Amino acid sequence: MTTLDKSGPPTREERLKACNAFGGTACGLVNGSQGGCLANYSRGFSQSSGCQLMLSMAIAGTIPESITVFHGPSGCGSCLLSMAGLSKTNQASRGNSGNIGTYWFSTNLGEVEVVNGGEARLEATLREVDRRLHPQVIFVACTCVPAIIGDDVDSVVERVQADVKARILPLHCAGFKTKIVATAYDVVYHAMLKYLLQRSDRQPTPVIADPIERLAHEERRKRTVNLLNVASMSRGDEIELKRLIEALGLEVNILPCFATPDRFLLAKDAALSVSICATHDDYFVEHLKELYGVPYLLNTIPIGTTHTRKWLFEIADFFNVRDRAERLVAAEEAEVRQALVPLRGTLQGKRTFVSAGEIRAGAQAILLQEDLGMEVLAVRAHHYDRYGDVLFQDLDPELPVNVGPSQPFEQVNLLKRLRPDIYVGHIGGNVWTARLGIPVLPIFGPSNNYMGYQGIFEVASRLHRVLRNPSYFTTLGETAATPYKRTWFEADPFTYIRNGRGANSGTRLAPATHSAPHASVLNGEGRALP
Amino acid sequence: MPSTTFLEKPRASCALGGALATVNALPRAVPILHASPGCGAMTSVSSSGASGYLGSGYCGGNSIPTSSIGEQEVVFGGTDRLAEQMRTTAEIIDADLFAVITGCTAEIVGDDVLAVIRDYNKGPGQPPAILISGAGFKGDSLWGYDAALEALFRNYVEHTTVRIKGHVNIWGVPPAQDVWWYGNLLEIRRLLEGLGLHVNTFFTSRDSLPEIRSAASAELNIVLSPVHGISAAKAFEETHGTPYVLTDLPIGAKATRAFLYELEHLLHLDHALVEGYATQQDALYYHAFNRLADAYSDIDLQRYAIVIGTIDYAHALARFATRELGWIPELVVVTESVATADQSALRKRFEGFLENPDRTVVFETDTSRMAGHLAERWPGPNGSKYHLAFSPAFVLGSRLDRDFAESIGAGHLSVSYPVSNRVVLNRGYAGYNGALSLVEDIYSVVLAGR
Repeated sequence: MTTLDKSGPPTREERLKACNAFGGTACGLVNGSQGGCLANYSRGFSQSSGCQLMLSMAIAGTIPESITVFHGPSGCGSCLLSMAGLSKTNQASRGNSGNIGTYWFSTNLGEVEVVNGGEARLEATLREVDRRLHPQVIFVACTCVPAIIGDDVDSVVERVQADVKARILPLHCAGFKTKIVATAYDVVYHAMLKYLLQRSDRQPTPVIADPIERLAHEERRKRTVNLLNVASMSRGDEIELKRLIEALGLEVNILPCFATPDRFLLAKDAALSVSICATHDDYFVEHLKELYGVPYLLNTIPIGTTHTRKWLFEIADFFNVRDRAERLVAAEEAEVRQALVPLRGTLQGKRTFVSAGEIRAGAQAILLQEDLGMEVLAVRAHHYDRYGDVLFQDLDPELPVNVGPSQPFEQVNLLKRLRPDIYVGHIGGNVWTARLGIPVLPIFGPSNNYMGYQGIFEVASRLHRVLRNPSYFTTLGETAATPYKRTWFEADPFTYIRNGRGANSGTRLAPATHSAPHASVLNGEGRALP
Repeated sequence: MPSTTFLEKPRASCALGGALATVNALPRAVPILHASPGCGAMTSVSSSGASGYLGSGYCGGNSIPTSSIGEQEVVFGGTDRLAEQMRTTAEIIDADLFAVITGCTAEIVGDDVLAVIRDYNKGPGQPPAILISGAGFKGDSLWGYDAALEALFRNYVEHTTVRIKGHVNIWGVPPAQDVWWYGNLLEIRRLLEGLGLHVNTFFTSRDSLPEIRSAASAELNIVLSPVHGISAAKAFEETHGTPYVLTDLPIGAKATRAFLYELEHLLHLDHALVEGYATQQDALYYHAFNRLADAYSDIDLQRYAIVIGTIDYAHALARFATRELGWIPELVVVTESVATADQSALRKRFEGFLENPDRTVVFETDTSRMAGHLAERWPGPNGSKYHLAFSPAFVLGSRLDRDFAESIGAGHLSVSYPVSNRVVLNRGYAGYNGALSLVEDIYSVVLAGR
């Protein structure tokens, strides 16, 4: 099934029939996903979301000793201007130093290049970046402009590669190519697999002359797992998951984010790849298995006791250490439950609303309900595909669910009806909730812990803190303007979702199984009906 | 602006980003992007997080109505999608003006966006819409600021031949790209109102769309930049016949007093009025400013300076540092890409306060080359223990210049764009009040260890 012979990976729309527009119930979503009928939904009104170029930086932008060249106009990549200091801090917390993360370049394409092509500019830039800074890796992030004007970036890369020491990795991530920005992860992994792993001279097992050392190395290899991290998790989360895996007697190689190119190469030597998010890793782990025989676990995410338990048991079963995992989990769960007792008084019964990527949104909702005793009023996911089913089928079938990349107009409409006590959302754009006067807990960012047992306690203690004094949000709700007409808040929140292209906007979600339940969100009482 | 070369870490986003920040700063105006799905978010992150946490504003950030051009629109054209997006935006968004900003994809594909807008504007009972060309390959965010104002002046400001004495329009202080735009405009507005003028500053909470719509009745347009805002000024003059003047951003009592006298001359104001106002403002300023004297005299607060920023800030900060703080700028870096032919005219503006602008003023876009420019101007250690060191030194630049400042043991304050390590609400550095804030901020860094 490998697609590495191609320039870039297929889009998530093609590969997974991923959906980016849905309004209904958890049950409707899972049924739609399994029936394969969600992919054609779109919006007649839409708001700016991310693009795959931007999200590709969530991996590429973290690789030490690398430099990114944005092949496009000067604005593509400008998001990095906001995080010069942050990226340095994140690197430092992983023990990486130097001027990592402080360099990137733009080929700064202008009208002349749009007419004549940008290949010469790209070639000159790559040669000069290599000469000036001697990076180990140069990512070439290809924007919409070269994709439309037809620059042959791969040929430029091959040509320059012959003369420079840096390994050059083209990222085919033009924003218009996909509405599922998570395609970006496949794009970066595709390039790392094709240009780093496949072209590396390293053998899966290094040649070790001494037989005892060789044996020791092999023994370690058989107990080493690739722990696949994401940029929107903290160093604290990495430490927590490493601690849990090591407690099973295993060793951990954390990658791809913040891992040097050399450490990334070790991925093919591991006994197992463990993902914490299928949205992030499914393309990579499948390839690693196919090309290097490294099996993988992809089913769930270690958020909340239930799914941390599932996650750990799957790892333990692979290595045949289930007993050890059961003892570990029992002790950890007892300890965290005890720790949560003083916080549960504040949290019990509080009404909440969760918004994040499909995997984390589903798992977080389960954590809030099961571990903290909160009531989840609705869940929003940035996009949806079959990897979400394992989580969403465990939610209340009638729970209101909305799928959309950002699209705050739908979200504020829902929030005004549901009026949660607190909102739990992926970082980026939570302001639209806050402006309604609803307290916000931002999670899923590089500074927040939310995984494993430590993560449960940390989320609980932060929720407890925010709820202790929500004055900032209350005042904001009283003083901030809304850009929407009053009539929008009276309309169906999913008015602009349509099934298939060409249908008029305003068309109701077509299948009755979807439209009937979501009407229940709309009873105007600010409360979802069961 | 010509794009003659690649850039390290461009200190700006693209035309679309600049236009977007400009529209977002206008009262009750909402942008509609006809662009790829991520253009709005990409540039909003850089104009908020890199501009002192400016924020999304009324309908910015990830609320920006966007046609979200996909593969389908690239192949078959995106005008239908735009028409639909404009109609639905008008259905749910509460605004008095829509500005359709086109991105690279729409402009390369060649959508007839003007026709879509014309059709939309025929519809009754909807806010008017104008077009701003924002393709990133046409220019950077400063270019986009100019393009947005040009579109506003040509297609929104109502034509009139009536000129009202004492009415002026002020621009040249780009929202977001000038991190201190809001405070700067408030201070400039305060000064002009102090002279009895009626002012359009376009982007403050004191401005309104009806006032902006009648901007053509002003007797003069004042652009506080030798570069940014000129196209808009020319378009204004061409469309409405209003003359314009280009001047520099004033920071500090000396520059501001000179600015007030310039206004007296240009607008034929009463000399006694201007003199009286400037004298009063000077007195207020020095009453506070001179409190620094004890510390300056006891701690030795003079510094060698490196100034890094757009032409506007490079000039304004170098002038203030030299003439009012008594500092010695050894390196002044202008960070826009400026064509070689235009560099000498800009360098001339530094004459009168820099000892040798030809030597001191450098045009450089790439952050990692700042150290090299300093090395060319200030010899490194020569083995002698009596080496004249570049110390004590201070870098007035952007957040990107902090590593450089640390590497030479200099103090550092983020002033020019990008600024991701400070929160900016209504602080400004222009005029009298702004300069006092600047002095506070600079010396709070110098004395932070105490």
